[in-house]
Amino acid sequence: MNQPRDIHQYLAEFEDIPGTRVFTAKRARQGYHLNQFAMSLMKPENRERWKADEKAYLEEWPLTDDQKTAVLARDYNRLLDLGGNIYFLSKVFSTDGLSFVQAVSTMTGVSVEEYQAMMNAGGRSPEGLRSKKEGR
Amino acid sequence: MARITAGVGSSHVPLLGVAHDLGKDRDAYFGPIFAGYDWTRKWEKAEKPDVVLLVYNDHASAFDMKIIPTFAIGCAERFKPADEGWGPRKVPDVIGHPDLAWHIAQSLILDEFDMTIINEMDVDHGLTVPLSMMFGAVEQWPCKVIPLAVNVVTYPPPSGNRCWALGEAIARAVASFPEDLNVQIWGTGGMSHQLQGPRAGLINREWDNMFLDGLVGDTDRLRHIPHIEYLRETGSEGIEMVMWLIMRGALGKTTRALHRHYHVPCSNTAIGHIVLEPAD
Repeated sequence: MNQPRDIHQYLAEFEDIPGTRVFTAKRARQGYHLNQFAMSLMKPENRERWKADEKAYLEEWPLTDDQKTAVLARDYNRLLDLGGNIYFLSKVFSTDGLSFVQAVSTMTGVSVEEYQAMMNAGGRSPEGLRSKKEGR
Repeated sequence: MARITAGVGSSHVPLLGVAHDLGKDRDAYFGPIFAGYDWTRKWEKAEKPDVVLLVYNDHASAFDMKIIPTFAIGCAERFKPADEGWGPRKVPDVIGHPDLAWHIAQSLILDEFDMTIINEMDVDHGLTVPLSMMFGAVEQWPCKVIPLAVNVVTYPPPSGNRCWALGEAIARAVASFPEDLNVQIWGTGGMSHQLQGPRAGLINREWDNMFLDGLVGDTDRLRHIPHIEYLRETGSEGIEMVMWLIMRGALGKTTRALHRHYHVPCSNTAIGHIVLEPAD
């Protein structure tokens, strides 16, 4: 046994990581329909209907208004806050024809070119991004 | 008797599958990544495994949020490449080994690992990309494959310690299968990467190499790394590396490294690859 057995302590630590939303049960419950909606885009016939009328397609899913707005705006950081998971949301940006790099860069506040240059230079250093509390 | 003869660790970035399928695998960007697998492709041709037990995670392809198995073993005759949103990869169907898979499933449950048994499932890039990396472009995969899917998406995923112990139990299960089979176990995913939020793009070369070091020899220190360390040090998706510990656990007390490769970047990810053999 090497995990903290106290579930509260285990979960609390996740909130200490800068710029990261760990996909906890709480988020999984909040985002259940959002993620299942995204999953539905794996079927070609659903992708066609989605592309033809995004708003109408979303109406078929019991999402909150916030979730619908964020999906239509492709605001991925907001979608993470509303319970989205990136592997599910990838069905949305894949349908848009975006690669992981293109979609992921939109969450980082820099252009895709700057993001790509950062990756080619070895990626983002963990220095200072491990813990909010400890600033390391 | 069946025996586990080797372990392979590898990243399974979907872009590698795209590069492979479009013939870009020797260009300036992908060439250095694929070059690190040349040794392994030659080695696999000589080793001729009968079965690969392939540990991977499903990326919202076969499993959605309806059912979240922690450990699932594929017992089907055949698994088709999944349509992940851009059509299925044009790679061969994956042929299973139901006799060995069911034997392992039963043995694991008696050994107190309560596996989910999967009789129908499509397999996504998590499984087919490692096959392409190790075997290249082929008409048929040269061996049978038993998929072992691990939940590393919804928290909590299994602990590193539990993964290692599952590997040990898999080794016992394989050793009690009466047929003479050359079995490899592959652990896939990782290495450092984060695909979400403002911290996306995180790479930790030093930590990744510490992890690769820890797979070799008689140390078992990796099994004690808590989830929070993977998250802090290797990004939110670096947690996939717990799956390598199932592979490592199955190789016994001591291992020897035959080949090792590390490259940054591929898409958002650090590529890591290692070939190990049991050395007890």
